[in-house]
Amino acid sequence: MSNNPSSAQTPGTALDDSSVTQLDLVREGARRDGVEIAHYRPRFNVDSPKSRAEKRIERTIALCFLLTGVAALGFVAIFAFWEWKYQPGAGADKWFTPLLGTAMAVALLGIGFGLIIWHKKLMPEEVAIQDRHDGASSDDDRVLTGATFANLATEAGIKRRPLLKGAIAFGLAPVGLMAVAPLGALVKDPGNKLYTTGFTKGVRLVRLDGSPVRPDDIAAGGIETVFPGIPGGTTNEYADSPTLLIHLRQADSAKVRVPAKYADFHYGSYYAYSKICTHAGCPASLYEQQTQRLLCPCHQSQFDVLRGCKPTFGPATRALPQLPISVDSQGFFIATSDYKEPIGPAFWERSA
Amino acid sequence: MKLPKIKPAELPAKGAAWADDRLAAAGPVRRMMNKVFPDHWSFLLGEIALYSFIVLLLTGTFLTLFFDPSMTEVVYDGSYAPLRGVEMSQAYASSLDISFDVRGGLIMRQIHHWAALLFMAAIVVHMLRVFFTGAFRRPRELNWIIGIGLLLMGLAEGFAGYSIPDDALSGTGLRIVNAIILSIPLVGSWLAFAVFGGEFPGHAIVPRLYIAHVLIIPGVLVALISAHMALLVKQKHTQWPGRGHTEQNVVGHRMVPGFAAKAGGFFMMVFAMLALLGGWFQINPIWLFGPYKGEVVSAGSQPDFYVGWLDGSTRLWPAWDITAFGYTIPAVFWPTVVLPGVVFTIAGLWPFIEARFIGDRAHHNLLQRPRDVPWRTALGVAAVTFMTVLLISGGNDIIAEKFNISLNAMTWAGRIALIAGPPLAYFLTHRICLGLQQHDRMVLAHGVETGTIKRLPHGEFIEVHQPVIGGNGHEGDGGHGSSAAEIEASYKQIPVPKKMNKFGAGGPATRGFFRSIEEPDAPEPSTAVATRSEDGDRQA
Amino acid sequence: MNLELNGKRKERLRRFAVLLLALMTLGGLYTFFAPSSAAQDEAESKRVAIQEGKELFEQGCISCHGRGAEGVDDRGPSLVGVGPASVEFQVSTGRMPLPRQEAQAERKPSSYSASEIAALAAYVDSLGGGPKIPDGDLRGDVVLGGELFRLGCASCHGFAANGGALSGGKFAPSLVKSSDREIYAAMLTGPQNMPRFGDNQITPDEKKAIVAYVQSMKADKDPGGAGLGRTGPVPEGLVVFLVGIGGLLVATLWIAGKS
Repeated sequence: MSNNPSSAQTPGTALDDSSVTQLDLVREGARRDGVEIAHYRPRFNVDSPKSRAEKRIERTIALCFLLTGVAALGFVAIFAFWEWKYQPGAGADKWFTPLLGTAMAVALLGIGFGLIIWHKKLMPEEVAIQDRHDGASSDDDRVLTGATFANLATEAGIKRRPLLKGAIAFGLAPVGLMAVAPLGALVKDPGNKLYTTGFTKGVRLVRLDGSPVRPDDIAAGGIETVFPGIPGGTTNEYADSPTLLIHLRQADSAKVRVPAKYADFHYGSYYAYSKICTHAGCPASLYEQQTQRLLCPCHQSQFDVLRGCKPTFGPATRALPQLPISVDSQGFFIATSDYKEPIGPAFWERSA
Repeated sequence: MKLPKIKPAELPAKGAAWADDRLAAAGPVRRMMNKVFPDHWSFLLGEIALYSFIVLLLTGTFLTLFFDPSMTEVVYDGSYAPLRGVEMSQAYASSLDISFDVRGGLIMRQIHHWAALLFMAAIVVHMLRVFFTGAFRRPRELNWIIGIGLLLMGLAEGFAGYSIPDDALSGTGLRIVNAIILSIPLVGSWLAFAVFGGEFPGHAIVPRLYIAHVLIIPGVLVALISAHMALLVKQKHTQWPGRGHTEQNVVGHRMVPGFAAKAGGFFMMVFAMLALLGGWFQINPIWLFGPYKGEVVSAGSQPDFYVGWLDGSTRLWPAWDITAFGYTIPAVFWPTVVLPGVVFTIAGLWPFIEARFIGDRAHHNLLQRPRDVPWRTALGVAAVTFMTVLLISGGNDIIAEKFNISLNAMTWAGRIALIAGPPLAYFLTHRICLGLQQHDRMVLAHGVETGTIKRLPHGEFIEVHQPVIGGNGHEGDGGHGSSAAEIEASYKQIPVPKKMNKFGAGGPATRGFFRSIEEPDAPEPSTAVATRSEDGDRQA
Repeated sequence: MNLELNGKRKERLRRFAVLLLALMTLGGLYTFFAPSSAAQDEAESKRVAIQEGKELFEQGCISCHGRGAEGVDDRGPSLVGVGPASVEFQVSTGRMPLPRQEAQAERKPSSYSASEIAALAAYVDSLGGGPKIPDGDLRGDVVLGGELFRLGCASCHGFAANGGALSGGKFAPSLVKSSDREIYAAMLTGPQNMPRFGDNQITPDEKKAIVAYVQSMKADKDPGGAGLGRTGPVPEGLVVFLVGIGGLLVATLWIAGKS
């Protein structure tokens, strides 16, 4: 099976012996590294002229590398000269990115195939076997290293000097605290921020563009996302404030049943509920105007609009908070106060 | 002055000598080159992750040249007309610029994102290989734990990358993370305010995630990957059992040239695959999501798949808030904090749990075939089933919409499958493993079916069986008349030949793709076939 | 000379008078007949259309929507006051008539011709007002439309307007096949579970902006290769396992295989 000359197998091959071949030296090096080349067979006889098969493989590999060159140049050309920008009305160019990707992939595949074919078809077949030197260190090493460590403690005389032990414990432990302390800069007092939104008594309900909303702006069976009409009220500064103003049809409005404490929160058939899901905080704004449900697209919690937006399905546990609303003297919607409970996802301090 | 004459042919030797004079590296370098690696396709899966990581570093570096993580509001004025004039964060605007105004930026972004997905996918597949073959057993427990650490860090790194473009999808994800942090008992609200620098969303989170994404987590990943490789080199790779393969050796290719050529070539192929994905499959079209606004959400908002299972668990978890004494543990806490905590703890400690459970404290360098450890394989498939149900549930709205199934039905199906699926998977896998073992034993006892029908003198028809003798490490005659003990002794937990071409019955292969490029060797009957024992074929 | 002149003048005058008379007669006839007949025709054709619509209604719609389109409990809503825009939207997209009662009517090829739809719309219009069928150029400002779409539409229809699931088997349909008129009419009339967005809330200009955004987004080519249905991370995850891991598994088999 293997054709290894016996000379390389015996320890102590004379490296300067003129009869030693390069391969013998490789075997000797491997042997010294605990590797036995158990099977070694050139795929082609290097002393005879190249066979058709050998030439063909050579050509294949050469083609792979040439392809790489062509594709890499192609990549550069496409990168540099292709018209690729987004044109209003027409969109961005559809081919720029795919062509770049193709050129890059072809170039890389050329190298990959070339290398692997070279190894698999041209280079000698071999099986090498290496010894493992697994497991623990030698007993000697363990004893010697152990003693070296133990001696550290002995030399330092920790046992003899309990005062130093104590001093280290009490003196150096705070260094750890000192290292962690700067993280304290991150701490921010939540204060009452989780309990309040941008709405307060008399604040108008406004649209995204800041315009106030009148009752007759919203058709029956319609909804509008409204924000507190304060500076920055429509921005992410007040990401807890977006509210869904729902105009129920007369027939649906008659069916509404809410707990007594919310009885005067609505204005006619207009109801305002927090848009922030009480589960994980996504805008639960998928309003079904016939089945009167609100759905949150993140985890599929469903809320019954006719029952004070109580959850009816999914992981949400609490109703969407209702914003008490009314209409001011100019006929625009206003909040009559902030939400009566914290909006959005629950947290430890939040009482049920 | 006369310049010394330089002979190019001597340069490498001279350079090497120069370095060795100073470093005495000849011995260690040769030892490294002679290191033997076993050769099996399943040992290349972890390499996919490694090469994806290199591509991530390359493309990520490109992206940092153009990305600006600031959350300052700007008015977009780039090429993408449908967003021109819209207020957005600088981070999102620069992400749009990378996609529409930086030449080649889009493909870099796309390769980067695909490489992240492939990195995580390859880690998962590699981990499954290690689990099902028992490669995590002593002495490799430490490398298993490092691997779990890599999976966790990869998850965090991927999520940070998903979040920093500050489009509506990443903002939606961050909002859910905010809810998850808020749900932690005692410290939730303080922790959330510390992470976000105030109330969600604030102005700090994108710059903070950015520094985590480009410096802190990659640093940890590089360190963990280095340790993973160093331990691999130190402990040497496991190998499949087979003829000449023992616990004390490694059989395969030396690192140079064999392993290096294959690994180098495979790196190119992984990179090429990522280039193809990046070029041909659009990923994360941030321009369609728009800038993040607190009131905006899109139907079908999902995280990437490696977080998707947590989204699924959140969807399936029932509406159970725990409230007592004026304090609340929100429902979201269990599926998003406790569940991954439990999953990763069990996964990380698995080598120790298993060793204690079966009392196996031995050193193992030979792998096990999954069928030979039916209970572990079954347990693994049950765990995969559990995670797959979660993952599918993470996209259950998409499935509901595309296949016209009720969303509520999908949720309930997920809840039921999550509980019923794993035991069922365990039972089926266990049976399949035992069945495969049984088939191996049957072949050892009766030989391989040859398809040759023979009529005996008294008229009976029998199929000629090829006894499994000597080949592939199976010694002794597994032919006729073997006692149960003999069969059991010949069962070596290594692949049993089951097709006649394993005995050379197929004839020698001829080189050439479309036509033969060499004279085929004269077919010579293999020894195994030649020594077919007619008597032994009578086994029914 | 005078006479001669007179005679010539007379002759001319006579010719002129004849011409004038002819023209006046023609004009008079025209003014007498044409406008009044056009008005009559219109009223007449409207009456015919309403009649035709009523007949169609009584064949195909009455079983659910009831006599006089006043609705039947648990079968179909009243159509009084829903307006022609709603009729045209529902019937032209094939949602109505509904083959059976189910969670939601689906888009399918319409079973009525354009003129039949117009007749049905005219009939329902005759029962009482409601939104008129939008016409003219329905494209507005794309950027404004994008902002409004992401705020009000994407939550149900998805960021790429290709639809999304709602509760219990209902869904927000994909807008991929929707025409300008359908999108506009849907906002105006609130079909099925979609909320209604009246003109006071989303002005006609804003509606046109939304239509323009949706259509321009649909028309835009995907710059980054195949769009994967513009569905987000779910298909991306599938691709990375099927194409990425799958393809590289084939590569590993070749690399580690025997040569």
